[in-house]
Parts: sequence; structure tokens; C-alpha cells
Amino acid sequence: MCKWATESFFASLAYVVASFLTFEVLMPLQNMFFPEYPSRASLLFLPHGVRVLSAWLLGWRAIFALLPGVFLVFAVLGGADVFLQSRLMAIVIAVTTAPAVFYVLKWVGWDLFPRPDRKPCWICVMGVGVITSILVSGLTNLAFNSATAEYIAYLIGDISGLFFLMLGLYFAFRFTDSRR
Amino acid sequence: MTEISKLTELRKLMQSMERTLGLEKLSPVERDIYYAAEELSKAAQEVRTFGLIEHTLVQSVSRPTFFRALKSLVEQGYLSQSGSANRGRYIVHAPR
Repeated sequence: MCKWATESFFASLAYVVASFLTFEVLMPLQNMFFPEYPSRASLLFLPHGVRVLSAWLLGWRAIFALLPGVFLVFAVLGGADVFLQSRLMAIVIAVTTAPAVFYVLKWVGWDLFPRPDRKPCWICVMGVGVITSILVSGLTNLAFNSATAEYIAYLIGDISGLFFLMLGLYFAFRFTDSRR
Repeated sequence: MTEISKLTELRKLMQSMERTLGLEKLSPVERDIYYAAEELSKAAQEVRTFGLIEHTLVQSVSRPTFFRALKSLVEQGYLSQSGSANRGRYIVHAPR
């Protein structure tokens, strides 16, 4: 029980921090440098990276671990609208798609989950990130009935978000190692 | 999987990224020996040469290459000889 609470706390915290960075730091920069860009979608959506890495590390438990964080972010962004059917659908899609993709791949014989006796494949995790992004973008845009431009923007934002989150984690680990 | 091993798995994922992007300081064999040593050091503070040679990640490495890489890891400070009288035992250190 304590382990689940710890997982949920850290996964949700990571999601909230990634969302804060995306909406409060990166989006204003995006609007400053690309003022003519019409979409409201972020071109560097870090929370997608949190979704994929949580699913890779925690498996199906990522659904419950991320749920509080995802709900909180939707509530902050949408206010009382978070209880609209489309928003609730988007929350469900956001937390379930990445674990589902990992399990479907495992089911077809491509088990990417971490194991102590083998090296992880970051390109494969990126691949899952791309598949998840296509599914999440498609399903979310169906839920919100968005335009095609939004769909493309979600895709770019998710893929770049996953890559730069992993790169950021890499440099964070390197920084902490150098300070030991 | 414990919390600490999740962090280890995440670090291993980042290290595989490091390798592809050419950001690494260690050779592939050195890296594999270091991964193996990190893994084994979870069970015991000191890592034995025999345990390292038998590890899944290192099994395919020839003996001369293994010992060259082990020596290089000691020189770079990733591993150090154990202070105890028994040789062939190493202590794992965090990358600098």
C-alpha cells in the first residue's frame, strides 16, 4: 500500500511539474518566438514523456499512479469543465494508452518492460511514445472534436516532449553524479 | 521492483540513450561491466571478478578484453580494489 502511495506521489508530481513547465515556461516562449503559430497545442509537451516513462517503469500501475496528477492538471486548466464527459474521456485516454501499448507489444512478443538482466532500449521506448502519441492525439481529438492542425501539433509536441524529457533526465543524472 | 531499482532502470535507459547519441565516456565493454557491477553491488557491498565474468551482460566478452576494461574502470575511478586482503574484489563508485 505504501509502495503504491509512493509511486502515485512521484508519478503524479512528475506529471504536474512537467505540465507546469510546459504551460508556464515553454508555451509563453513558443508564443513569443512563433507568434503566427495558430494552434494552442504545445510543440514540446513534456507530460507525454512522463506518461510513457511511468508506463514503462510501472506497467498497469501507472494508470492509478498518474490519475491524481492528470486530474489535477485538467482541473487547473479547465476548472469545473473537468467533469464534462469529453474531459473525463481525455483523462482516461491520457492515463491508459501508454500502458496499453506496452502490454499489447508484450502480448505480441515484444516485451520492453525493464528487467535487471538486460539492457533497456531507449529507441524502442521512443517508438512506444510515437505509437501512444498517435493514439492519444487521435482519440483526444475525437473527444474534443478538434481540427487536423491540432492533431499534427499534438503529435509533434508529444514526440519532442518525450525526447527532451529523456535528455533532461540524462543531464540531471549526470549533474547529480558529478556532485557526489 | 523496489524504488531504488526503478531509478537504476531509468538510469540504464538514459545510459542507452547516451551510447546512441555519442555522449558517453566509457567503451561499450566498460559500460557493460559497470552495469553488471552496479547490479551485483545491490546484493553485496563488494563485487567479485568471478561474479562479473559470469554476469549475463559480460558473458560474451573475451577474458583479455574483460580484464583490460576492468583495469580501465579502476583507473577511471568507477571501481576500486577492495581494501580487504582478498584480491579480485571491487567496490562500485558512482560515475564522476
